[in-house]
Amino acid sequence: MSSDGEVVIRARHLAKAYKLYDSQGDWLKQQLPLVGSARTYYKSFWALKDISFEVRRGESVGIIGRNGCGKSTLLQIVCGMTRPTKGEIWVKGRVAPVLALGATFDLEATGRENVLIGGAVLGLKRHEIIAQFDSIAEFAGIGDFMDQPIKLYSTGMRTRLAFAICAHMNAEILIVDEALSVGDMAFQQKCVDWIDNFRRTGTLLFVSHAAEELQRLCNHAIWIDGGRVRQGGDVAEVARAYKKAIRFEEDSMSRFSAV
Amino acid sequence: MTNLIERQPADAPVLHVVDGKEVIPGDLNAFQRLLRFLMEPFTAAWRHRDLIAAILRRELRERFSGSVAGWVWAVVAPLISLITYTSVFGGAVKLPNGSPANSPMDYALFVFGGLIAFNFFTEMAYRAPSLLHEYAHYLKQTMFPAQMLPVISTLRAATYATIGLTLMLLCQLIFGGTLYWTVLLLPLWFIPFLGFLIGITWLLSAMGAFTRDTAYLMMTLAPVLMFATPVFWSTETLQPTWRLVWYANILTGFIEIIRDIVVFGELPKGLVAAWTLLLSAATFWMGYWFFRRQQEGITDVI
Repeated sequence: MSSDGEVVIRARHLAKAYKLYDSQGDWLKQQLPLVGSARTYYKSFWALKDISFEVRRGESVGIIGRNGCGKSTLLQIVCGMTRPTKGEIWVKGRVAPVLALGATFDLEATGRENVLIGGAVLGLKRHEIIAQFDSIAEFAGIGDFMDQPIKLYSTGMRTRLAFAICAHMNAEILIVDEALSVGDMAFQQKCVDWIDNFRRTGTLLFVSHAAEELQRLCNHAIWIDGGRVRQGGDVAEVARAYKKAIRFEEDSMSRFSAV
Repeated sequence: MTNLIERQPADAPVLHVVDGKEVIPGDLNAFQRLLRFLMEPFTAAWRHRDLIAAILRRELRERFSGSVAGWVWAVVAPLISLITYTSVFGGAVKLPNGSPANSPMDYALFVFGGLIAFNFFTEMAYRAPSLLHEYAHYLKQTMFPAQMLPVISTLRAATYATIGLTLMLLCQLIFGGTLYWTVLLLPLWFIPFLGFLIGITWLLSAMGAFTRDTAYLMMTLAPVLMFATPVFWSTETLQPTWRLVWYANILTGFIEIIRDIVVFGELPKGLVAAWTLLLSAATFWMGYWFFRRQQEGITDVI
């Protein structure tokens, strides 16, 4: 698409280590002024080892990889929820994370109140949320349930409301983490249509372990394997290589078990 | 200098982290860095004011969710304790500092002022260690500014302390017949007290995120602290050398000041006020520094 647009996400040699302590006593020792600086009491688990990529304005980039390859950690870094241990991350623009939709909902509060809280958590001003309220309710399409406590909602209704809030953030960068697989077909189609529309002006970062979904929504792809970029570029090429590798690795597993 | 306070250029990156450290645009010298650090809690609170208000509203509602009488309890509870103290200690003719009590209400108010401060403190001490666990889903799945949670929970507790204080002033007015002008100094007492409690909450919540021992420690310490705090008596009954030891407990200062300005109608002693202010400022910024230092680890372990 517009590959000459300006860069909105830049990642250079990102690496992320989680500190694993054997016991909480070890954590305490690490915090003590003299004891802690003398030696390290933790083991480092490197979830990301070396990730570099650039995303330009208006691009739709898919991130693909198997479970535990570091996709979620990468997303958390791009959203600013966690910091990389090494390397540089640079993000410009308002980011809307459609991660774990509805995780922050307060079950006792009504849908209406949760829109206000959810919007505030996503960084919207109160007057912005109130101005968009009717539009959010219409998008969610849950009718009178808007004034009922969330605990009475079905899973699908929660997802609808959560996506409706995210869709009204006026975000420049949308980060979607396999959240679309919930909800009925009609609503899924509504979300995909909305994302298609969003892609005309905004930047999309889509995460999945299914190559088909990626090809449907993205024009570029990054394949992450073991905390490193294994392949990046055109979505069709990456998807083909990824599918081939998955088949091969499954194959090799079954071959070993057969012996 | 104004550009230090939030006013970033419109096209500044939203997020820029290199090797685990946030990149601050512009070159700052040591003094500017210090100033920026000292201002940071306030600029962040201002930036997130709508979020703070939204969560605070939710927290206040949650406290009484499922109850019919709701806010009535917030008024009735301190009222009952005030009535209890009046009837139990009503016979005392002398206040613990030696001055004669004018009415049975005097000693009750004397105790009540101390209790408001002490209960406010214990509420924070008990809740802080589990605070970040309560909000784990926010911290892990949204871009939630974790450092604002201690501010929000302190503000929530502050609304109840305010109800207690209002009740105290009303009783003083009704039974004492008059309010001293020094009551106007109450905001000057309240703001440093909030600062101290937010600082403590930063410290305890960050520690509590890593180990549950913090919660057990506070449950063990807080009742003991009640005896190390002059809630029911005055340090004026102690020998001068011993009194100094009690001032190591910052609550002593806060409790004596609120008694001076509300119950006795006197200006607080300059040295006590200065010492209390110094301790609360130190707690506030040290707590903030500690929380920010641990924040990266917090999202990873919680």
